[in-house]
Amino acid sequence: MPVPEVHDWAHCTQNLKALSYRFAVCCDDARLGTHISALLSSLRDADHPDEDAVAEPARHRYTLTASPERPGAVDVGRDGELVEPGLAPGVAVGWLVWDVNRLAAELSGEHLLFHSGGLEASGVGILVPAASGSGKSTLTAGLVRAGLGYLSDELVAVELDVAGTGTDRLLPYPKPITVKPGSFGVLADMAPEVLEGEGDGEWQVPVGEGTGRLVGGPCEPGFVIVPRYDPSAETALVRLSETEAFFTLALHAVNLLPHGPAGSEALGRLAARCACYALAFSDLDAACELVLGLVGTRV
Amino acid sequence: MEASWPEADSVPLRREGASAVELDDNLAVYDDVGQLMILLNSSAGEVWNLCDGSTTVAAMIRELAEKYPDQASVIGDDVRETLRKLAELGLVDQGPEAL
Repeated sequence: MPVPEVHDWAHCTQNLKALSYRFAVCCDDARLGTHISALLSSLRDADHPDEDAVAEPARHRYTLTASPERPGAVDVGRDGELVEPGLAPGVAVGWLVWDVNRLAAELSGEHLLFHSGGLEASGVGILVPAASGSGKSTLTAGLVRAGLGYLSDELVAVELDVAGTGTDRLLPYPKPITVKPGSFGVLADMAPEVLEGEGDGEWQVPVGEGTGRLVGGPCEPGFVIVPRYDPSAETALVRLSETEAFFTLALHAVNLLPHGPAGSEALGRLAARCACYALAFSDLDAACELVLGLVGTRV
Repeated sequence: MEASWPEADSVPLRREGASAVELDDNLAVYDDVGQLMILLNSSAGEVWNLCDGSTTVAAMIRELAEKYPDQASVIGDDVRETLRKLAELGLVDQGPEAL
């Protein structure tokens, strides 16, 4: 169903970019629009910051408009089509972050993508690959809180063979950090401003300018940390062999098959060049201390 | 695959589209066509590396027996068994018979 055209937006974000997915968000409610702008400001498209989001046809556009059916709720549209009707504003924000992440993964296939957190420590990249529920976002958030540069909590893009140099680099995709309720306690000081319906499920924690949480830049990978939260575990790092690292990375690669042999060769380079560790943890602060010690950074 | 394969004069050939990455003492082989990734131990990796489409099975066995003389008595069976497994996985073609 088409979204009714609204030309008099109360607020539109700047142009935004999630890896290769370019988009903008327009709202008919200024407070909600301002909230989304602040939340997604770390995704500002530095190459095209000031174009008119509404007029630019190549850029995808989300719209959040007051629901005519449900007072207080919003209808979410994408590129003129109603995709999620009647959501509480906070739920709509969570859906928006999820959908941007989904499309970033779908439209950034030129890079080798990993289901992984990503960080930068003094110019060195850290991959944090793990399945959902392993504590990947929590560990990433803890390390960002400790001062490391944030690349992503969910999807890390590796640019392969940069300019034919044989080196690879991690690219920043600084989406808001999504924190699940089980980690609210250990990350309480990162609690964001929440809207109606938001916070019951997940927090969307803003990063970048004005938040005290740094965003990292493109960097060569130097470490792979594979986290596993286990409340009964003693928090410890265990070195992985090259073979173990290779298959762990393969397991968490999102788009290995389309890259063919180049993808497996890239996995081999990552496994050979990075120091790779498994991290079992029951204590977030202790886990962060171990990682910070490993990467030689004390903030 | 013929039941008797590989013969002494067979010349197995790595499947086109399959590539290998060295890891520790192992070899990870990725088959782009079959979309398969498999880890070979060092012995199987050495056999894989000899599947160049010109080395006969007899030559493979001879080369490996010279390299590992204390295992020479079992290397023939090991090489043939490894080749059969690689062929079952579609990672090597039987290749033309040696001229």
